[in-house]
Amino acid sequence: MKVPIETKVNNKPYKLEVEARSTLLDILRDELKIKSVHRGCEDGECGACTVLLNGKPVCSCLVLAPQVGGAEVTTVEGLLKGDELHPLMLAFIENHAIQCGYCTPGVIMTAYYLLNNLTEFTDEELRKGIEGNLCRCTGYIHIIKAIKAAKEYKDSGNWW
Amino acid sequence: MKQRERRLVSGDGFYVDDIELPNMVHCIFVGSPYAHARIKSIDVSRALKVAGVLAVITGKEVVELMDPLPATSNYSAIGWHWRTPKAYPIAADKVRYQGEPVAAIIAEHPYIALDAADLIDIEYEPLPPVSDINEAMQPESPLVYEEWGDNIQVHLEFNFGDIDAAFKEAERVLPVSWHEARVSGFPIEARGCVASYDKVTGMLNMWSSTQAPFLGRQYISSALRLPTNKVRIVAADVGGAFGNKLNWWKDTVVGLGSIVTGRPVKWVESKRELFLTGSHNRDVTWDGEVAVKNDGSILGVKAKFLKDLGVEGTNRGSAAMGMVPACCSVPNAYRLKGVKIEAYGIVTNKSPYCAYRGYGKDKGIKFMERIIQVVSRELDIEPEQVRFRNFIQPHEFPYKQLSGYVYDSGDYPAVLRKVLKLGEVNSWREKQGQARKQGKYIGVGVAFVVEPAGVAAPHCIYGGLTQARVSITSDGLVEVESDQTEIGQGSDITRTKVAANILGVRLDDIEVKRDTSDMPGSGVYSSRGAIYPTGALIRAARELKARMIKLAGHFLNEEAAYIDITDSVFHSTKDPTKRMSLKELADCVYFRPGPRGLPHDMQAKHEVLLTVSASWFSPNTTQNPTNTYATYCSGADIAVVEVDVETGAVSILKYAHVHDAGTLLDKDVVEGQIFGGIVQGIGEALSEELVYTKSGELLSNSYTDYVMPTAQDSPDIVLGHIETLSPFTELGQKGIGEAPPIGSKVVIINAIENALSPFKIRVPESPATRERVRKWILESQGG
Repeated sequence: MKVPIETKVNNKPYKLEVEARSTLLDILRDELKIKSVHRGCEDGECGACTVLLNGKPVCSCLVLAPQVGGAEVTTVEGLLKGDELHPLMLAFIENHAIQCGYCTPGVIMTAYYLLNNLTEFTDEELRKGIEGNLCRCTGYIHIIKAIKAAKEYKDSGNWW
Repeated sequence: MKQRERRLVSGDGFYVDDIELPNMVHCIFVGSPYAHARIKSIDVSRALKVAGVLAVITGKEVVELMDPLPATSNYSAIGWHWRTPKAYPIAADKVRYQGEPVAAIIAEHPYIALDAADLIDIEYEPLPPVSDINEAMQPESPLVYEEWGDNIQVHLEFNFGDIDAAFKEAERVLPVSWHEARVSGFPIEARGCVASYDKVTGMLNMWSSTQAPFLGRQYISSALRLPTNKVRIVAADVGGAFGNKLNWWKDTVVGLGSIVTGRPVKWVESKRELFLTGSHNRDVTWDGEVAVKNDGSILGVKAKFLKDLGVEGTNRGSAAMGMVPACCSVPNAYRLKGVKIEAYGIVTNKSPYCAYRGYGKDKGIKFMERIIQVVSRELDIEPEQVRFRNFIQPHEFPYKQLSGYVYDSGDYPAVLRKVLKLGEVNSWREKQGQARKQGKYIGVGVAFVVEPAGVAAPHCIYGGLTQARVSITSDGLVEVESDQTEIGQGSDITRTKVAANILGVRLDDIEVKRDTSDMPGSGVYSSRGAIYPTGALIRAARELKARMIKLAGHFLNEEAAYIDITDSVFHSTKDPTKRMSLKELADCVYFRPGPRGLPHDMQAKHEVLLTVSASWFSPNTTQNPTNTYATYCSGADIAVVEVDVETGAVSILKYAHVHDAGTLLDKDVVEGQIFGGIVQGIGEALSEELVYTKSGELLSNSYTDYVMPTAQDSPDIVLGHIETLSPFTELGQKGIGEAPPIGSKVVIINAIENALSPFKIRVPESPATRERVRKWILESQGG
């Protein structure tokens, strides 16, 4: 069964006919060809498919496509300014926080949400904030370092 | 520099799931609900009627169209008890583990394939399963392979040194036993590939999430009865591997799917399928005794070693072979007189078993580090003192270990001293005493690891092949290729850096090419990347540089001895006005004047002058299957834990690690490996476990039930490096990839045991889940 929806992804409006049983993850990857949203566990356990739905991080595998009618979705592609990488992305590169890269876009979206919504945080709070994103390569240590470095970019006004 | 990272951080990946080809269709596997059953009949007619289903491949087609999966190792040739079953990727007659594929469906969309899966009618005759290794060894046990007559796939005996002398000299003999649960790497991206067969040329092109495209080609072409030169595999971006992507048995079916349907076929494995169909690892039991003197000198170890290989240990993965390094690695960092191991590799109705970070060596090392804990406890000597007493000393390298390993270099006492300091062990031991008075149980754990790295073994596919090619393009840029497949370990970064340093070119001028089966090399496993492919790369780059210098001398009219290159510009050290860029040189060599304008002796070599291929081989490995590694890095760990005796929860209060991997090729990359590895080991120590029921059903088949560390479970880690160069590698570098999770797992267990010493608890197994910790405490209190 097809359901018509209107949604905005990375600030671009779309009119789509979606399969009722398809997920937001399916739509982003298969219809809109947004590759950053990674199919991980499809159970909402690993966070590799994390996107912002109306500004809040969700596992896109757990959201049915018809549910995003009228909603706004942001993925890492939406953080790019043309070819220019977002300062948060640069912080990940500079701090060696990307290893296999499969969890990276999901972690970036969660971190982007945290940094935009918390003015100050402890390491403990940061760890709790990203615990929904599993990473098997880094042990999280360089990821945490990168997010803290990104906070400095943000505090110094280098942010969007 | 870091082009790959720039790509991945902005979502521009080339993972298997990102690949789309015209007319591409999708493959899913349908698994057995039973762990052990005879397939009485399969009827796929209803599934084939679903609109969009192109083909259903069952065991019948597979047996008809394919050869059995090739064995990845076979030591029966040298007289070892070593069985290799006849195995196909889809079960034909009976299923031997839950989730074993009984059909593959090729359809226009994965959801259509899933719909069709429900319409396959299969009649099973359930057979009694065996999921317990001890039961599997009983004569009345159900048989996984009836034709064998028992479930013993591999039976090995190793007798290193003089075990009788060791036990004769003993002042005490202490019992030691240790069990590790079944676990695995379970990368966030599961397995997958795309296959595209061209029936006109007979060429099968594949893109795979693999650690070794060259080995994959060998395996797939053998199973699919294709000539090797008609299969080509490109490594896609790999979303984590850890040994789990060193098998291609499912890829063979995807290739067959493309041959059968004439369409490109994509298979992206679901996470549940990865849990159910492996590869799994660990699941070993050691039982034995250690001979010691009262001063803590360890004389010898005798043990029986059991490994639960699951359904099959040589074809769907390389399980049985891991038993060899498990036994050979027992002596670890210590001087012993004798080690005797009797090892059994047993098949059961569990998922296939293959590599996971540590492969086999981890098992022997962890056993020895548990032995040290026993010796320390029973003789009341601090665990670091037992190690200091038994260490191989810095002046003894190269050291021929009992098992045949030739340890290249090291300073074990220095590594341990440094970690004791970084871990603030003395002050924690003081706190430990005070805490106990307040009912808090703090424990200090110590572990030491010597990791054999870079295997090159006979009678198996891991023979140590490697190859690198370095080229200067016609515009003076550099292309680097090798079999150091990038799997998230950072090989693109290290290759860029190594090549730039040797060649004297700018980092940004270097392009590292994707690994393909065109490059004859075994890929990445056994922590070999820094040793083998890097060795080949260094040799190729050095030779290329010599040619570049010679050519630049020719064009600059200067003796080669006076030519140097920095930041991609040649200059004469005698006459600074003589300069030319690499770009200018490349243009001269390729086009203006071109090859005919070069000195005659250079032309006469018939070489493409600016492309060099090279290989590398360890000077110390032999045909002897117990001496197969190239380098031996060392590392030491300190963990301080607090055990909540009411809940069984373990928290890590302090973690320190010191590592000696010889020359560090790139500090960030090495530290990334260490941090990631340590946290993986912590997961194994505390929470990760593949739990099978008696009927062979896997209970922990998702990240919910198989509990991997989150950011909240990862401790702050204090890190120290020591660099003792290997005399046997090109830059003194050593492999390091697998050492960190070995040390971290056993140090946590040792720390827990130390914390619970007032209860006189002997930690018998991992993981130390809360339930188990509570159980041990209750048992110690007679409950």
